[in-house]
Amino acid sequence: MTATTVTNTAVPRSSSLSGAKIREAAWGYAFVAVPMTVFGLFFLYPFGYAMYISFFKWGILGKAPGTASVGFHNYSEVLHDQVFHIAVKNTLEYTVGVLPLEMAIGLLMALVVNQAVRGRAFWRAAFYFPSLASSVAMMTIALYLGASDGLINKVFGTTTPWFSTAGTVTWAIVVLNAWTTSGTVMLFYLAALQAIPTDVYEAASVDNTGRWRTFWRITFPLLRPGHFFVMVVFGIGALKVFDQQFIASNGTGGPNNSTQTLMLYIYREAFGVFDFGMAAAAGTIVFIGIFALTVVQWLTVGRRDAT
Amino acid sequence: MAATVAESYVPRRARSETIRKAVIYAILAAIALLFAVPFVWTIATSFKTIPDSVNVTLLPHPFTTSAWREVWTQYDFKRFIENSLFLAVVITACNILIGGLGGYAFARLRFPGRNVLFLLVLGTLMVPDQLRLIPIFVMLTHWHLIQTFRGYILINLVTATNLFFMRQYFLTIPKDFEEAAKLDGAGYFKTFWRVMLPLALPAIAALAILQFQGTWNDFFWPLIIFGQGSPHLYTVQLGLAELNFSYSTLWPEIMAGSVIAILPILAIFLVFQRYFVAGAVAAGVKG
Repeated sequence: MTATTVTNTAVPRSSSLSGAKIREAAWGYAFVAVPMTVFGLFFLYPFGYAMYISFFKWGILGKAPGTASVGFHNYSEVLHDQVFHIAVKNTLEYTVGVLPLEMAIGLLMALVVNQAVRGRAFWRAAFYFPSLASSVAMMTIALYLGASDGLINKVFGTTTPWFSTAGTVTWAIVVLNAWTTSGTVMLFYLAALQAIPTDVYEAASVDNTGRWRTFWRITFPLLRPGHFFVMVVFGIGALKVFDQQFIASNGTGGPNNSTQTLMLYIYREAFGVFDFGMAAAAGTIVFIGIFALTVVQWLTVGRRDAT
Repeated sequence: MAATVAESYVPRRARSETIRKAVIYAILAAIALLFAVPFVWTIATSFKTIPDSVNVTLLPHPFTTSAWREVWTQYDFKRFIENSLFLAVVITACNILIGGLGGYAFARLRFPGRNVLFLLVLGTLMVPDQLRLIPIFVMLTHWHLIQTFRGYILINLVTATNLFFMRQYFLTIPKDFEEAAKLDGAGYFKTFWRVMLPLALPAIAALAILQFQGTWNDFFWPLIIFGQGSPHLYTVQLGLAELNFSYSTLWPEIMAGSVIAILPILAIFLVFQRYFVAGAVAAGVKG
């Protein structure tokens, strides 16, 4: 019985191992060798290496030879660190603030650009461009406009330095980044809008449904896959926010830790106090958080949309 | 009866159409204005003097190009531009070649373990920079590649997004082309290089533009690799950040630096607009 099954599978397989197939496979391996080495060395290996480092007392010169693992010490240090709590709070506040704003502006822009308006390509380009410009330059311009004697304060007759005041900096960066990301959101909504079949709208116009009602009753619900796609991609992107806070605070996370984000916290643990073990532990915690969010996302809404 | 209904109906429809048009153009103009003001203001300031830079006047008075000259010479932006250009060009070329080779193999060649390897490629998208930062810094330090262009290029040789993008494009090319090449006796590499890569030109254009833009704008990894004490390796973005930190009130110079950081991407965008849009959507759809 067992012998027959073995020969049954073995015979066709050995006869299929022709020279041409071996040659094709060899070239296949040759072509993917370089990319797989890069991915292995700089993505997959670091994944495990970061976790390894996180279990040691690890400084700028590495771990002292022969030192034992400190177990979960770094993890408990991070989780009990007041500054880490502030970084989590700031990052979540930023994400919860920026996500609805960029989605609303992006959707609004997609809706108007999707109409039969003159110069569509121009409007689309004008709305998209801020998303392509360098984040450092956009932040620099925002610092200038939002300085205590800058344009925004002159217009409103105030003198708040929006990006160096603890109470306003997160929200100032929310507004800035809503501006610099909504163009990309617009592109995804445009693609989603164009995927809606036109006969749905024809049915609505036969029923003489008003435009406002058509939007809320038909377009908005039908854009659901688009909403969730944007939420996942831009939500995870928002958790990585770093450049703006780094520029605003000269890399310090100040004033009063108001520009501490998860990414800046990891950066400062590594290059401010040279505690690589702590930084790796913080990175691992953030990864687990993002992974859990993605899984929850996928289980709750992603699977329904896939069917 | 039917005629009267239609007559009273048409003008109402036309009027609502006019209102709709007016609302749409008003929204378009408002957003465009809001988006344009910061850029116009930035350019204007770069031609102002320092005392003039805090005035709420659009036109520089007096008009001066001194900020531009200083940024170019004293603040070393000429070197930063050279560094940024070098890195962006080399990394873009590597991504096209290596991503193209890998993408072609995953799209067309059959070899044992292909699906597992492809899952690994997609798996790299799950590893965030927050996690990669420390191990990559430690590895590059071990290999004496920290504070070098080689180190930065090495970790950016190819991305999973680019490889995936090329693979998807190769899948859409009919197999007839390769079969014709095979009949002519071309080997696998020659088929890739002489037949498939030229056919994938639209995909290459989109990839090249987005990768160039990504490398030109990158701040995080240059900061990690060059930022710990190698000013001669600074890219435009690092140089601009440094100018911000060291001379926070030199607004004309800082604005000139910002224009330099943005302008090349604007120029490329204006020329190759449709590739940007196609590439951004395709790169995003992969998830």
